[in-house]
Amino acid sequence: MKNPVVIIVAGIILVCSFFVFTHTGVFMRGYSTAKNALGEITGPVLRVIGKPFELVGYVFSSYFNLIRTNKENEVLRSRVDVLQLQNQKIPELEQENRRLKTLLNLMEQRPKTMIAARVVGEDVKNWFKCIIIDKGTNHGVREKMPVITSRGLVGQVVDPNRLVTKVMVINDTSSSVDVYVDGKNTRGILEGTGQTLLKLKYIRKNDEIEIGDRLITSGKDSIYPKGLATGIVTTVNLNKPGIFADVDVMPFNNFKRLEEVLIVKR
Amino acid sequence: MIKVSVYAAVGLILTILESSLLYSLPIEFFKPDLGIPFIVYTSFFLGPREGLITAVFVGIMQELLSAAPAGAMIFTKVSIFLLCVFMKRKIYIDSRYSFAFGCSGAVLVDSFLFLSLSLLTKGQSNDFGNVVFYAIPNAIFTGFVSLFIFSLIEFLNVRYLDRQ
Repeated sequence: MKNPVVIIVAGIILVCSFFVFTHTGVFMRGYSTAKNALGEITGPVLRVIGKPFELVGYVFSSYFNLIRTNKENEVLRSRVDVLQLQNQKIPELEQENRRLKTLLNLMEQRPKTMIAARVVGEDVKNWFKCIIIDKGTNHGVREKMPVITSRGLVGQVVDPNRLVTKVMVINDTSSSVDVYVDGKNTRGILEGTGQTLLKLKYIRKNDEIEIGDRLITSGKDSIYPKGLATGIVTTVNLNKPGIFADVDVMPFNNFKRLEEVLIVKR
Repeated sequence: MIKVSVYAAVGLILTILESSLLYSLPIEFFKPDLGIPFIVYTSFFLGPREGLITAVFVGIMQELLSAAPAGAMIFTKVSIFLLCVFMKRKIYIDSRYSFAFGCSGAVLVDSFLFLSLSLLTKGQSNDFGNVVFYAIPNAIFTGFVSLFIFSLIEFLNVRYLDRQ
């Protein structure tokens, strides 16, 4: 081995990171300092870079919409083509306007309790489901604050930095939300699967639940306030062995297409 | 040291771009690990010290832009660096294609190490299904992207940095 010192240092870092993983106090402090220092660089870059890529996303989604239109209606294709070229920016602005209006309505209901934020990025690993927003501790964001849109629940703040914040989305495998079936006396735990659909756990086979039922937060997990819409039941399988039913839930939000969110202050 | 700083800066920019750009595009299945090619390159072609610095930097950077548990990414990236150091005399990287194979293998090792770490320390892993599901697509896509990263690094070396 040419450089045993480096190997020893690497070994020490490996052991330290292992202790950080197990949340050992002394190691966590040093780790936080290093992470915050690098966060000071990535935060502003992410906020700046996020802006032009919204346009890229818009162009990309427009392209796919165009293909679908082609398939559905050949006659209208050329017309849609021309109109889209002419009004490339207008529909996006109108859409944004509509979205922002609904957010504003939501904020006006409780003006001091919400922070509006824009989504600037997502998790670099597809193992975890997390989004990055452009508001941080400077704007009053704190850990475990619920994040919502006008459609319903998005997730909770997990790692607020000075300028940007990571939000764990409810379809992450580490996410659990205590929910009620709207209008029925059925309660369960909504867990993320890492995929689009969520799983509603601990619903007994004789509980009142059917396809199309809406789920709302119960407020009993002390993270999410009561009454937030979370999703709609898409599958109820009673043929599974055991006392609990297998229930799939489709969230109201499309987490890949979020642009603005609201953080609920607590 | 200048080389490492340049590579680290390029890696940082690419990873931030990945975080921003891929959110705007409906791509979920293929997500390259843009840090691994830099770790493999520095460990194989520069030296252990440079490789270690890159590994730690990439590890912290990925933890910053991901909901990964604290310490997990540093652990896996430093382990990959150590593997690269030990395999340096056993694996011969002579082209960008063998480099891409090396990077794909490193992504698989990364997934395996993360799962092992989670299972060893916590006794369970919520992300088990997800990590296994995405391991091979991620490895293939990272291998593909590392072809371009290798060319980019070589271009930087020839054009702006001294070739050693």
